[in-house]
Amino acid sequence: MEAVKFENVRFAYKDGGEESDVFSSETAFALSGVNFSVEEGEFVAVLGHNGSGKSTLARLTNGLLTPSEGKITVMGLNACEEENLFEIRKQVGIVFQNPDNQMVASIVEDDIAFGPENIGIPREEIGERIAFALNAVGMSEFRFSTPSRLSGGQKQRIAIAGVLALKPRIMILDESTAMLDPKGRKEVMDVVVKLNREEKITVILITHFPEEAMLANRAIVMSRGSIVMQGTPQEVLFRAEELEKYSLTLPKSVKICRELTKNGLPVEDGLTADAAAENILRAIQKMDTETVENVKTTWAGTRLMEDCERNTVKQDEEQGRIYCENLTHVYNPSSPFATYALNGVDLEIRSGDFFGIIGHTGSGKSTFVQHLNALLKVPCAEKKYKEKKLKKGELPNKKPVLRVNGYDLTDKTTDFKELRSKVGMVFQYPEYQLFAETVFEDVAFGLKNFGNAFSEEETRFAVKEALKTVGLDYDSIARKSPFELSGGQKRRVAIAGVIVTKPEILVLDEPAAGLDPLGKEEIMRLLHNIHKDWCKTVVVVSHDMDEIAENCTRAAVFSEGKILAVDTPRKLFEQSQRLFNVGLDVPLTAKIVERLKEQGVAIECDYTTADFVEKTLCYAKTIGAGTRSTKKGGAKNA
Amino acid sequence: MREVSFGQYYPSSSFVHKCDPRAKILFLIVYIVAIFLAQNFYALGACAAVFAVITIFSGVPFKSLLRSVKAILFLLLFTAVLNLFFYQGGTTLVQWGFIRIAKEAIYATIFLAVRLSLLVLGSSILTLTTTPVSLTDGIESLLSPLKWIRFPVHELALIMSIALRFIPILTDETSRIMNAQKARGADFETGSLLQRVKAIVPILIPLLISAFRRADELGDAMDARCYSGSKVRTKYKKLTFTWRDVLLFIVCIGLLTGVILLKIYTVALI
Repeated sequence: MEAVKFENVRFAYKDGGEESDVFSSETAFALSGVNFSVEEGEFVAVLGHNGSGKSTLARLTNGLLTPSEGKITVMGLNACEEENLFEIRKQVGIVFQNPDNQMVASIVEDDIAFGPENIGIPREEIGERIAFALNAVGMSEFRFSTPSRLSGGQKQRIAIAGVLALKPRIMILDESTAMLDPKGRKEVMDVVVKLNREEKITVILITHFPEEAMLANRAIVMSRGSIVMQGTPQEVLFRAEELEKYSLTLPKSVKICRELTKNGLPVEDGLTADAAAENILRAIQKMDTETVENVKTTWAGTRLMEDCERNTVKQDEEQGRIYCENLTHVYNPSSPFATYALNGVDLEIRSGDFFGIIGHTGSGKSTFVQHLNALLKVPCAEKKYKEKKLKKGELPNKKPVLRVNGYDLTDKTTDFKELRSKVGMVFQYPEYQLFAETVFEDVAFGLKNFGNAFSEEETRFAVKEALKTVGLDYDSIARKSPFELSGGQKRRVAIAGVIVTKPEILVLDEPAAGLDPLGKEEIMRLLHNIHKDWCKTVVVVSHDMDEIAENCTRAAVFSEGKILAVDTPRKLFEQSQRLFNVGLDVPLTAKIVERLKEQGVAIECDYTTADFVEKTLCYAKTIGAGTRSTKKGGAKNA
Repeated sequence: MREVSFGQYYPSSSFVHKCDPRAKILFLIVYIVAIFLAQNFYALGACAAVFAVITIFSGVPFKSLLRSVKAILFLLLFTAVLNLFFYQGGTTLVQWGFIRIAKEAIYATIFLAVRLSLLVLGSSILTLTTTPVSLTDGIESLLSPLKWIRFPVHELALIMSIALRFIPILTDETSRIMNAQKARGADFETGSLLQRVKAIVPILIPLLISAFRRADELGDAMDARCYSGSKVRTKYKKLTFTWRDVLLFIVCIGLLTGVILLKIYTVALI
C-alpha cells in the first residue's frame, strides 16, 4: 500500500513569507505540481538545496500546511480534510532540525510522554511506550535525565523517541542531522536505519548529505519546487553534472574516485571508504602498460600542507602567536556542580598557522577559545583577584601563562579591549548575532566600539574591504537589512563584522556548522583567503575531521579538559586508534589509506584529497613502470 | 559546555526530598500562616523548632540556607532600623536628641527579624528540596479543582513547563550573544546609564528574534505531536501521597494547633 501519495500538489506561501527552515531562502516559495508516492516500509531520501521545497513537502505530509492545489493521501486518508489531521498526525511523526526547539519538558520521560498524553493513551500504557521508545533509540539509561545535559545527537534521539511513542507508521526527518557533529549524525542515522529495518517504519529523510541519502532505498532530488531526479541512491548520486546543476555535491569518496579516473587511473565509483579502497586496489592491479602511460602526475599542482606551513609560519613572531601553559578553568567553583572545563592546558599556536582544534562537546575547546580574547579570564587577571593564603603544607598552584598576540593575559593591567580588536572571534551560528538595521551598520559595529578615531570615509572603506573579503558586493548589500539575506549571506556578513577591525588572529567556532556541503566548501575557501591576506593566524574549532585534514597546517585534540595531541594532520591521523579511543573519527582519506595499507598498498600522504590523489597516482605509475608484476604479487599476498 | 545549575535545587535523596511536592507546598502555606499567627516568642519558637527539624531531615547544608537570608539581608536591616527608631510608645531606654529607643522597640525589632528570616528560610527549604519540575507538577495538581470554574489549569502548567525547559536555553543564548558582541568591542560594564541601555540593543534584538524563531518551531513540533489541548488528553505523571506526607501533615497540624493554643493562652504565660 502507498503510505504517502502526492498528486499534482502545488503550494504557495500566502504572505510571501519564508520557510521556517533555519537557512531558508529569501524568496516566497511554491511547490509546483509535485507527483510522488512512497510505499509502506520504504526508506526515501529527499535531497535538494536550501529553499528547494523539501521542508514544505514534509509539512504538507502531516498537515502542518495544506496544499493550494492537488491531493495528498496519507495512509489512505485525505490530508486536505481538517477532520483527518489528528489521525494523520498520529501516523506521521516529524523530527525537526533543532533538537532544543522540539522538547516541551525538562525531564526526558515527561517529554516523551507528551505525545501519548495528547492522544489520550491510558497512564499505564504511556509508561510502556516510553520504555519502548527509549529502548528503540538506545537511550533507556537517560529516562530521568535533563535534556540540557545531553549532547546534540542524544537530544535528537530523544526527539525521535518522542515521536516514536505515538507509534507512527511514517517518520519524516526534516534535516534532523544538520546541526549535529559527525558522531551525533551517525548515532541518529543508525537509529533511523534500525527503525526502518526492524520496526518497518516508512522513513522520509530530508537531508543535504549525500552520505546519508546512500542509506535509503530511493533518492529524490528537488529543485525549485519540483522533483528533478529520482532513482536508487546509486543512480542519483553518481550523476555529477546533474547534481552540480541543482547545487548538490557528490559524496567525497566518489569525488576521489572520479578525480583518479580523470587523471588516468580508471577507478569505479565507491560510496564508502571501504568500497573506494577496494576499487582503487582493483584498478591498480588491473593496470596494463597502456593505462600506465595515461596516468598523469603533476607535482606542481599539489598544495602540500607542510609546504604551505613552511611558507607562512614564522617561528618566533609574537604578532599572531598564542602561547599558554597550565591553563585551568572551573565552572561553578565550590558548588556541587563544579566542573573542570580545562585542566592544565599547554599549547602553542604559532604565527601563521591555520590551526585546527578538535574535540567533543564538553572537551573544553570552547572554554579554551574564549580565553584567547579574555571573554573568560584567568583568575589572576580579574579585577577582584586576591592571592589566596596557603594553608600549612599546601603547595601553591602552578601559575598559568597565557600570551596572545604579545599581550599578557594573566596581567590585570592589560588593555583587554585593545586585545579584543586584535583577536577576532566568530562564534557558532554567527548569523544569530546580527542586530542592526543595515548590513553597513552591523559590520561597522566593531569599528565604532574599538576606536572613535575613524572618519566616515575610513569606516566606509574598511566595511567595503571586509565585505569584499567575504565575497559580498558592498553596493548591492550594504543598505539592506541583514534579516533580508539568505542564510549563507548572513553568515558572511557576520564574519565581515569580525574581521573589519583587521585582527591579527581570527578564531572561529564551527564556522561551517549547519551548512550544506557546498556552503561548507565556500566558507573554508573564504577562510583561506582571509588567512592569506587579512589575518596572520586562523584558529578553527571543528568536529569535522575532513575539514581539519583539508585545511589545517596543525591541529590540537582536546579531551576532558586536556590536550591529547598537537601535530600536523598527517601525523595526527596516522594514530587513528588514539582518536577512536576518545570517540573521535579520522577523515575519509585516512580510512581509505588504512584499508589500502591492510592490502599491502602503502600510500603516504597528508590526507588532503589533492595529495591523496596525487600520491595514489604516483604509486600506480611506479608500480606500472617495470616492477609491476612483482609488486602486484606482493600486494595480493599481503 | 557549561552546566547550568538552575534554581536553588540541592540534589539529595533525603526524607524531605522524597516528600510529595503538594504536601510540601501545603506545608509551606500552613507554616507561613503559623508564623503570621504567632504573636510571641513561644509561638515563634515552635515554628523555629519545626523548621529546624525539617532542615535536619532535608540534608541541606546550613550554608546553602544562609545564602537565601543573605539575599534579603538589606531588607532585614532596613526594617529593623525603622522599627528600632520609629517605635511609638513604650518605656524609653535611650533618648538622644530626637532618636529614642524603647524597650519594646528592641523586642519588636528582634521579633520581626526572626519572623522574616523564618519565612524566607522556610520557603528556601521548599525550593532547595524540590526540583522546579516537580514544583510545577505540584502546583498543577493543587490547582486542578479550579478546572470546574473553567480556569485553564493544564495550559498554565504547560506554559510553566515550557518556560522551565527554555530558561536554561535562553540564558545560554544570552551569554553567547553577549560574548559575541563583547568580542566585537561592545562594553556593558562602563559608561553612563544611557550608554548602557543603548549597549543592550545588540543583545536584545538577536535574542528576541531567536526566541520568536524557537517559539515558532516549538509550535510546529507540538502540533506534529498531536497537541490539540483537547479533553481526551491523559496525564502520565501521577503524584501519590506516602507515609512521609502523612507524617508531614501531622507535624503541620501539630504546629498550627500549637501556635493557636499559644495565641489563646499567651496572657497566662507571660
